[in-house]
Amino acid sequence: MARSKLVSLDEAVASVHDGMSITAGGFAHSHQPMGFFRALMRTGVKDLTIMGVAECWVAEWLAAAGMLRRAYFSNFMFEGFGRCRRFSEGIENGTIEAEDHSHFGMVMRFMAAGLGLPFMPMRSQAGTDIMNVRGFENPSDKAQMFRSPFDGEMLSLISPLNPDIAVIHAARADELGNVELYGTTSVIEEQVRAAATVIVTVEEIVSTDEIRRNPQATLIPGMMVDKLVHLPYGAFPLGIYGYYEYDNAALAEYYEASRSPKTTRLWLDKWVHGIKSHWDYLDAHGASRLLSRRTDPHLGYKYDIPEEVAI
Amino acid sequence: MTGISRDILMAVAASREIRDGETAFIGTGLPMVAAYLAKATHAPTVSLVFESGIIDPAPIELASGVGDYKLVYGSTKVAGTFYALSLLQQGKVDIGFLGTAEIDAFGNLNSTVIGDYRKPKVRLPGSGGANDIASMAKRFVIIARADRKRFVEKLNYLTTPGFLDGPGAREAAGLPGAGPVKVITDLGILGFDPHTKRMRLEETFPGIKAEDVQDAIGFRLEAYSRAKPAIPPTSVQIELLTRKIDPTGMYIKDFQV
Repeated sequence: MARSKLVSLDEAVASVHDGMSITAGGFAHSHQPMGFFRALMRTGVKDLTIMGVAECWVAEWLAAAGMLRRAYFSNFMFEGFGRCRRFSEGIENGTIEAEDHSHFGMVMRFMAAGLGLPFMPMRSQAGTDIMNVRGFENPSDKAQMFRSPFDGEMLSLISPLNPDIAVIHAARADELGNVELYGTTSVIEEQVRAAATVIVTVEEIVSTDEIRRNPQATLIPGMMVDKLVHLPYGAFPLGIYGYYEYDNAALAEYYEASRSPKTTRLWLDKWVHGIKSHWDYLDAHGASRLLSRRTDPHLGYKYDIPEEVAI
Repeated sequence: MTGISRDILMAVAASREIRDGETAFIGTGLPMVAAYLAKATHAPTVSLVFESGIIDPAPIELASGVGDYKLVYGSTKVAGTFYALSLLQQGKVDIGFLGTAEIDAFGNLNSTVIGDYRKPKVRLPGSGGANDIASMAKRFVIIARADRKRFVEKLNYLTTPGFLDGPGAREAAGLPGAGPVKVITDLGILGFDPHTKRMRLEETFPGIKAEDVQDAIGFRLEAYSRAKPAIPPTSVQIELLTRKIDPTGMYIKDFQV
């Protein structure tokens, strides 16, 4: 019988060491592994590199906590709010180094790594400063133009990126790490294939029979997963499709705090360092807050109960 | 007519760029309401693709962004970001829409930095899917308010390709898409000279003169003798936008009842 991948949140977080490169699942305000990163932020790990596509909140919180050194990425911004301020100011003041890509460029770097190839050919990024202007990487180590030996067409070739660790938050998994996620799946499949170690946190643990009942729902098979953590509301204050929506008030509270380094520190003290465990974090929000964000199974989002009959 | 909402003028102009039966790559903001206006009027069979991985949705409420779960409703496929972007490279996407912090005369865009790349004065969000859409969609449209700080002679950073440095440059770089076709501003609609690939004024919105547009642009527009007034929005289009598609004014912000 295959070995259970289940570990405690602390044991999973202990996989991350100073200087490592990390990639994380999620898009906009959806399914980013915020519970994992709150715990990681309490460890004081430093000099991390993010290899990211759309995990804006992960990048921003790592920057806010002073843990981020470098970013290979394509776009970090907060849908409906604006700039990721601590991340952006980190680049402006030189504490974080940036290497820009298009979304497809980043995905193709993961794809090259995941397929064990020295590069992937692609048709975007060519002719622009993404290829011509140096960040912290030598431009010719990042991407090069190449004429196809088959039809003579110009292509750009992009080199692989292998993150040390991929952290994913998903819906359900069995103990073997067969993982289901509903709704959009961001860049998770490519990140998982590219990373040396894969850590998954999930809303629910289910039996392997339940996974086998609908194998098409499995996004990541257990053989790809190294560590699995049961972490209900593990994306909160972001959302996860089929479970709960993001909490706009909680996101706005961070966004306001991020206007200055001082207010950011106060926010970190309150919501990260001042809280001992994931359960304490959920208790700090309270059952009413958490339950009020549950989504409707048919709509896929929160059904708005008319104000006059709401509790 | 001077009192009409600029957001409505821009959304209607954008919706007119979408043809029935096409596949359109859509982002957050005015492109989203423009796409749903096109679908409700002249382009009922348009398929919409979003970079979050949502294909051809039928939302019953306007989404606050491409990551909003409201946008998943009624979709014919949900996937990941790779899947959506790969449709561009395969040549399945007819038209895309982009916004920008800076744009030059060749329709190149900057959404990366203001100032030096490695020590920027302002760090912007970065390309995201913009470079991919501009490189690989069959054609694309830019939506940007006219402003001399945005329409500049020289970009701080070339994130997203328009016609690069002029005729033949996209082909030399191997970019498969034809490039930008329109720039929809709050003053009028700009296009590109087919020979020089530089921007020119093609249509002006009501109450706007050609000089007003040139004054708001930081580079010289190409002469174009056939510039004309834009077709005003119909009452049906205004009604759909303000009552059905965006009744709470999420993206159509300057509409006065």
